[in-house]
Amino acid sequence: MDFDAQLKLQAFLDGELPEGEASKVADWLARDREAAALLEELRNTRGAMAGFEAGIQLPESREFFWSKVQREIQRRETPAPKSAPTPLLARLRRFLVPASALAVILVAGAVLIRPAGPFDHAHTAGIETALADAGAFTYHDYSAGATLVWLSYPADNEVADNDEAGTIE
Amino acid sequence: MTATDHSSADDRTLVRAAQRGDMAAFEELVARHRDKIYARAYSMMRNEEEAVDLSQEAWVKGWQRLRQFQGEASFGTWMTRVVINLCLDQLRKQKRQRTESIEAMDEESGGVERQMPVVTSNPTAGLERAELRQRIDRALALLSHEHRTVLVLHEFEEMEYKEIARTMGCSIGTVMSRLFYARRKLAALLADLKKQD
Repeated sequence: MDFDAQLKLQAFLDGELPEGEASKVADWLARDREAAALLEELRNTRGAMAGFEAGIQLPESREFFWSKVQREIQRRETPAPKSAPTPLLARLRRFLVPASALAVILVAGAVLIRPAGPFDHAHTAGIETALADAGAFTYHDYSAGATLVWLSYPADNEVADNDEAGTIE
Repeated sequence: MTATDHSSADDRTLVRAAQRGDMAAFEELVARHRDKIYARAYSMMRNEEEAVDLSQEAWVKGWQRLRQFQGEASFGTWMTRVVINLCLDQLRKQKRQRTESIEAMDEESGGVERQMPVVTSNPTAGLERAELRQRIDRALALLSHEHRTVLVLHEFEEMEYKEIARTMGCSIGTVMSRLFYARRKLAALLADLKKQD
């Protein structure tokens, strides 16, 4: 028996065949024991299932189940509360707080990652002596951003003592 | 309408009252049909917790859509369709999250049901109602959800092939094939359970 014939047999059982075809299947069943046995098996299975759901009961009491249903209905029917208009100060604060935090982070980052160089000093102030001229002194105050240079003329070093041409009269 | 009126009123009267916003009337409808709605969800899902949740959701949806109910079918039938649709949605979601079952692959690859020997004697003959229910329950749990759904819609919901095809979004041929497989597999499982006794 091919698959189409098996499905036709099932359709016969379920009353899904047109009348003409149903009578042909009935004739076939009278002649074919294998087909009759299969139909019997399908019928038994269908019969066994009858009334199966009748014994299934909701495992919750009437009151408890209804309270859940009712609560859910009411929750969905309650419109979501509209948010009140935000005052200007609150809106500004909402913007300013993260902006300030961002600014602090940027400043701190810039200070920490500033590359080491001529302006990176452990001390905020210092005195330098110009090598070319031992009589010139430079004072840097980094915190105040000030540089002070002073010169001592006539130079009172050895070279200057022996060089008359360089002496200002 | 008082509580006494509600318990003595027929479904049609209760539905009309509920459509006007009478929640007590709706509660009476829930009390009358809740087992049937839960049973349908349980047959399809095979999980008590899921079946409770889906039947609760069905009642909430039922209340929300009550105005759409025109009374062409009975209220119980209408509510059953609501819960069936919810179960089908849930099963589709679950299917997307897992691989195909072995049964479904068998069906696609040629149909083992064609080769299964016919169960000649009725494996459920002479069984007590409770015992029979228990065996059907165990056998149904072993079917893939596609086969079980077709069986439930045909046997319990008494849907025709074309109606099942429309509900499940497949062809009539697929419905016939799945129904045939489900029945044959169920017969074999019931016969196995009988042998184990």
